[in-house]
Amino acid sequence: MSIMQYNGGSVIAMVGKDCVAIASDLRLGNQALGISSNFQKIFSVTDRIYLGLPGLATDVTTLRELFRYRVNMYTIKEEREIQPETFAHLVSSTLYEHRFGPYFIEPVMAGLSKTPSGSFKPFIAATDLIGCLNFAKDFVVAGTASEKLYGVAEGLWESDLEPEDLFETISQTMLNAVDRDAYSGWGVVVHVITKDKVVTRTLKGRMD
Amino acid sequence: MPDMVSIGQPQQRQFNPYSENGGTILAIAGANFSVIAGDTRQSEGYNIQTRYAPKVFRLTDKAVLAVNGFAADGSMFVKKVKQRLEWYRHAHAKDMPLRAIARLIQTMLYSRRFFPYYVYNILGGIEEDGSGAVYSFDPVGSYERESCRAAGAAQSLVQPFLDNQIYFKNQRPPPGTSNPTHLPLHEVLSLVIDSFTSATERHIEVGDGLEIFVVLAKGSTTQGLENFANVQEMTQTREGERMFNIRRNLKRD
Amino acid sequence: MDHFPTNWGRPRNDAFDAYGTYPIAQRPYNGLKDAFAEGVQHTQQPIVTGTSVLAIKYKDGVMMAADNLASYGSLARFKDVQRLHPVGTNTVVGAGGDMSDFQYIQSLLDGLMIEEFTEQDGHSLGPAEIHEYLSQVMYGRRSQINPLWNALLVGGFKEGKRFLAYVDLLGTTYSASTLATGYGAYIAQPLLRKAVEGNEDKLTEEEAMQILEANLKVLYYRDARSLNKFQIAKITAAGVSITESKSMDTTWSFAEGIRGYGSQTQ
Repeated sequence: MSIMQYNGGSVIAMVGKDCVAIASDLRLGNQALGISSNFQKIFSVTDRIYLGLPGLATDVTTLRELFRYRVNMYTIKEEREIQPETFAHLVSSTLYEHRFGPYFIEPVMAGLSKTPSGSFKPFIAATDLIGCLNFAKDFVVAGTASEKLYGVAEGLWESDLEPEDLFETISQTMLNAVDRDAYSGWGVVVHVITKDKVVTRTLKGRMD
Repeated sequence: MPDMVSIGQPQQRQFNPYSENGGTILAIAGANFSVIAGDTRQSEGYNIQTRYAPKVFRLTDKAVLAVNGFAADGSMFVKKVKQRLEWYRHAHAKDMPLRAIARLIQTMLYSRRFFPYYVYNILGGIEEDGSGAVYSFDPVGSYERESCRAAGAAQSLVQPFLDNQIYFKNQRPPPGTSNPTHLPLHEVLSLVIDSFTSATERHIEVGDGLEIFVVLAKGSTTQGLENFANVQEMTQTREGERMFNIRRNLKRD
Repeated sequence: MDHFPTNWGRPRNDAFDAYGTYPIAQRPYNGLKDAFAEGVQHTQQPIVTGTSVLAIKYKDGVMMAADNLASYGSLARFKDVQRLHPVGTNTVVGAGGDMSDFQYIQSLLDGLMIEEFTEQDGHSLGPAEIHEYLSQVMYGRRSQINPLWNALLVGGFKEGKRFLAYVDLLGTTYSASTLATGYGAYIAQPLLRKAVEGNEDKLTEEEAMQILEANLKVLYYRDARSLNKFQIAKITAAGVSITESKSMDTTWSFAEGIRGYGSQTQ
């Protein structure tokens, strides 16, 4: 089995009307053996950027700290908050630095970017483990349940969902996808990002 | 440049008697109907062999079989099932009941336990009590009756979607109500079409065409079937179950 | 120890034929034998091979094309082989893959047609029946893990209906208005589909012929195991007709300008 499946876990991000959502499962496993049902894979980068890191758990911790360091350096040097587009390229180039000995993580990003007029534009992106960027207009998925997430999301997602409807859509997508994946599940956490707040909800899921 | 060593034995390439031909099949049972569907693309690797190769077959007026996996094994298996059903007709002067066909398929698959038909089967139709039924099989004959099953290349994309929309998994009904146990035909057909358009969007082995079979129980109305385009009735006996065929296009890329 | 010096063979140097394209001669083996060795000598590889076969449906019937080459590894061994075989009055079978297996198939088909003729029952086998028969033979042999190493196209015209289908060493079958085997499946099939799909009832005999010849030319330029000498079969209401072998003009002057393609050494 691939090292990408060693600890299990999945992440998805979706675009809505003036909002974005990102969700992950909470399982940490050692192959088929479940270890933890409260393993966070999504981290806030700024108030309006969230980053999901499904893949090898040890690299989740390493990359989380690495991105925290690099975003702090950016903030200090530039004296401004990093924008999601810039952050996506930071993620991409960080991973590509390790082209021939990569971190076993497929990051997923969701955020709102500031437009020149001062409003906010939804932004999502994902990369593979060596940093190939995928800017999608609808949704991005990663992790051991990615195929299932693609199938359900393709069936449930529609454009211009309001925050509450987007929450329902991403939650149903996540729950039903991880229920068919042996390596993901054990609860779900969902973040819905709007211009003036982030709503975080933890969902109960099947524990088998 | 390879090492200049002499080869002791002539190397043998083992002939592989199996191949995979892509595609996806799906069946959903209603209260008094059954819907069995499959895409019509046949491929090998990145090659599309043909855009129309049926994977869903009429067995009797109340039974439909969908086969997916290795196409050559699939055609041979369907051929042999049809032959056994004809022998049954000659011996008993009636069509074999659905649950008996299901058991027949299990014994036929298991008889090849050590050189299996590399085929996933889904059998749909009407039971003797008039209820819609779906039976799904693995290549060596394990089977169960369910009300909904997807198989093939896009099984992992479609099945969780069906769990959600057919079984209402992870959906709590409003207080004082309960989730329906069976959906009406027009909703089932919409879900089948949505499932295949989604699978076509994200899976390269799915596409080209969609072939849907609908079996209606004895005495039931057409339940809005007449509102769908390209519906063709293919019932052969009278005053029994009725069978319909619907063809649609899927994206060809 | 094998005490027959003629069986020792010559020392092999892999640098001369790293990919083993040249079939290794089978010498009798005089060493110790497994008691059941005889029972499991099946699996083989193609030896003398034919490359692509192309076929399309058109207004009046079906047209099929194949070149006249039978290769022995990379050696162009036999340059006057007919790979289109008429069966009865309504059918043509075209073959790629092992030519000795194809000759065996031809003898099977000829035997079958004689048997059917002898019945004198007013029925004759059409393309659909020939294809079904070949499918059963091919699938039967693959199930014995002793395949007939071919990809076959069956084309025909009977009772006003065109027929075109494929069957290969695995017993896999399918049908479409354009078919191609071997390299043709990669190189010619996209061009054939573009030219034919949706135009099956409009294409004239001349247009069909022109499409197939253009595709044979493309294959001749790109498939190293092909030959600029070919035949084209047409099956219409009038029956089967297969052309004499013919060739096309090709241009190679451009090759000199491409390093590694022409005759330059540096």
